[in-house]
Amino acid sequence: MRAQSFELVLRDTTAPAPNPLVRLAAKQAALVEFAQFQALRLERAGRDLRSRENATAESGQLENVDVEGGAGTGPQASPQYPRSRPTSFRRPAIVNLLAGALSACIPAFGMVVLWSDGASLEFRPRIWALEAKAISEPAALVLVAELPLPIIETVHLEPPAFSIELADAPGKVEAMSELKPSAAFADTVDIPSESMDGDRFHAFETNPIKRVADEPVSTFSVDVDTASYTYVRRALSAGILPPRDAVRAEEMINYFDYSWPAPTSPDEAFRAAIAVNDSPWTPGNKLIHIGIKGYELPPHEQPDVNLVLLIDVSGSMASADRLPLVQQSFGLLLRRLKPYDTVAIVTYAGDTRVALPPTPVREWQEILDALRALRAGGGTDGESGIRAAYELAGNNFRQGGVNRVLLATDGDFNVGITDVEDLKKFVARERGKGIFLSVLGFGASNYNDEMAQALAQNGNGVAAYVDSGYEAQKVLVREATSSLFTIAKDVKLQVEFNPATVTQYRLVGYETRALRREDFENDAVDAGDIGSGHRVTAIYELTPAAPATATAPATASNTQTYGRLLIRYKQPDGRTSRLIEQPILINPPPLSPTLQRDVELATAVAGFAQLLRGGTYTGALTYKDVVRQAEAAAVNDPNGYRGEFLQLVEEAQQMAARGGGD
Amino acid sequence: MDEQSLIRRAQDGDATSFAELLDLYYDTIHRFAWKWCGHTADAQDIAQQACIKLANSLPQFRFQSAFTTWLYRLVISCAQDWQRQQRQQRQQRQQRRDVHDAVPPVESGTEGTRTEDQIYLEQVLSQLQQLGEGMKETALLVHAEGLSHAEAGEVLGVSESTISWRIHAIRKRMGQRERRKSVVL
Repeated sequence: MRAQSFELVLRDTTAPAPNPLVRLAAKQAALVEFAQFQALRLERAGRDLRSRENATAESGQLENVDVEGGAGTGPQASPQYPRSRPTSFRRPAIVNLLAGALSACIPAFGMVVLWSDGASLEFRPRIWALEAKAISEPAALVLVAELPLPIIETVHLEPPAFSIELADAPGKVEAMSELKPSAAFADTVDIPSESMDGDRFHAFETNPIKRVADEPVSTFSVDVDTASYTYVRRALSAGILPPRDAVRAEEMINYFDYSWPAPTSPDEAFRAAIAVNDSPWTPGNKLIHIGIKGYELPPHEQPDVNLVLLIDVSGSMASADRLPLVQQSFGLLLRRLKPYDTVAIVTYAGDTRVALPPTPVREWQEILDALRALRAGGGTDGESGIRAAYELAGNNFRQGGVNRVLLATDGDFNVGITDVEDLKKFVARERGKGIFLSVLGFGASNYNDEMAQALAQNGNGVAAYVDSGYEAQKVLVREATSSLFTIAKDVKLQVEFNPATVTQYRLVGYETRALRREDFENDAVDAGDIGSGHRVTAIYELTPAAPATATAPATASNTQTYGRLLIRYKQPDGRTSRLIEQPILINPPPLSPTLQRDVELATAVAGFAQLLRGGTYTGALTYKDVVRQAEAAAVNDPNGYRGEFLQLVEEAQQMAARGGGD
Repeated sequence: MDEQSLIRRAQDGDATSFAELLDLYYDTIHRFAWKWCGHTADAQDIAQQACIKLANSLPQFRFQSAFTTWLYRLVISCAQDWQRQQRQQRQQRQQRRDVHDAVPPVESGTEGTRTEDQIYLEQVLSQLQQLGEGMKETALLVHAEGLSHAEAGEVLGVSESTISWRIHAIRKRMGQRERRKSVVL
């Protein structure tokens, strides 16, 4: 052994040459940070400038003051931002960089050329808006947020024009807009609330009031999803009022378990109950609650399960509320499966990988190990994720069992089929073969709600949004049997109102589930499904005909009811529908005290949802009223969901009181 | 462009100058980080952290000392932060393991690819670490980077005489160790 003094060791041990890739990564990370930091400085400078401007009422030398620090790098000097030096950035980096660049280049009149590395980058204009908004530039943001197509290939910021090349199938589309440099420091431009958010929601109008004389029949598909409630909860807990389009009243109502009477034998797929109460929103109006509860399969009747987990492991899934929660959630799900049920895992990110071939649950340790070994990283150009998942499910098909793909993602549906319509068709085709799809959304900020809904609807499945271990427990453990075992499919509801007793009506929620009247009879039209033990509640508000106007002869047959309820559904493997019919009595027998409380809770939730959507039809109802209604109903609260609801309403009330109009 | 005006332009927000500055100094940062920890992957992490920190603390450089002096200080503070984080994570991992199953800890690092020199360096570094706060940094700045006692004092924010005293103490105690070890061997 060499004898060496420590001084010589320190001096003579030479560090290895740095790995050039690592070096590049460090440099990029630092440049991103630099861009963000400069943007913040600019914003601050802009703010100072504005206040100074206001004070002196002078607006001459916008760009020369402060912004460039007087170091001879004013707008006329050559731009210092990387010129025509195409560089590839990975997605998180490019989002940050672009946000920084947008804010940095506009006041400086520099030029920034950013290249994405091709189709693997999916840009969501609204994410930019979110990221960039945190930094500054409303002027540029509005342009970005208005871009219609999601996939952007190249961004050129060449003042005064701003152009983005979109990767579009028939050829490249160029979106050009004028940059208005002076607007860079203009007062905040009003950005629509939904674009402040990375999450995407389908915009819809609240159901209007309809006149029975014009439209006596109302038709819609059931919806057992609850994603909207979870999303609203997440927004409120974070101190923001949720965007309007994120609030779907029916999903909020259906989040809660109401004690609607359940069928007792599998022959009766579900039972419908109807409650009639006074409307708390409009004096004189009535609320009709329609409650449906599906047959609950006892464990020994549960069919075999062939489950394929399709998990997004792209870089964005790394944060604690995403992949780690997915791992935890699916671990919980295993407990609800039988030993001979099988689970397979397919991951997608930079590439598609079968992380676990179909494995019986009795070897749960192996499944858990495979789950734990998942790591987030890489881009998302998952080549064939969804095909691979369906192929596995198909190869392992269980006749008469449950064959289902469970997709877990934070919003990247880049599963190999890029065209949304193609993807929906693909999922629908597989549904025809007996393989269903459910979608579990994780994480905030780029959750693509609209897409999750569309896919789950086409795949005869559920779309749920999981924001915590608590929610995972609800969706995957307590309600696992509902999500996994379909007991009735294509469930459609139709209400025919009686013109002799009702003048007008309005359906609360279900806007995105509306069906045309003729679709009710058409078995080819897809609709929502009901799983084991699922319950669905729908609320109508109606205006009864005043005795004076109801001059039609008061025969026994036409004044006893407000109308009738029709339900069509198919057996899980059936092709033709069955019909259930029930009158809506004006004076139904009284409900049990428990059920009456549940109905009041549903009313409170419906009121809350409508207030969050702007409260067009809820008259003088306030959040305080909702709290009062819900308090009484929250007595029976085994899981704490109702207490939590009260808290949310109170938070919304405080926020609305503080913010006024935003 | 001379170094000073490059730094000034980067301070004024010029990204190209900042990129150039990184190109110029990355190797220094990396080398120092590597000698500080003696481990390739860790050095990469520390160097990246230092680059990121440089992006937003550069404006604080006031040209009152040499840029490298200021840079050493920055790398040292990143390295110390990094070490603190590692320690916390290790503790958390251990606590979790105690509670949960007996999954063997994942060995980090690139064992087996180390040279003999590197093993010596690691030993020396861990011995220096045990001598107390600032000792390792002092030895590295003086012996590895060849700084004068005055310069090292500036980096570490202590007086020149403190550095001289530390170097003396280090030599004395490391000498004892080496002697003791040679007896054992």
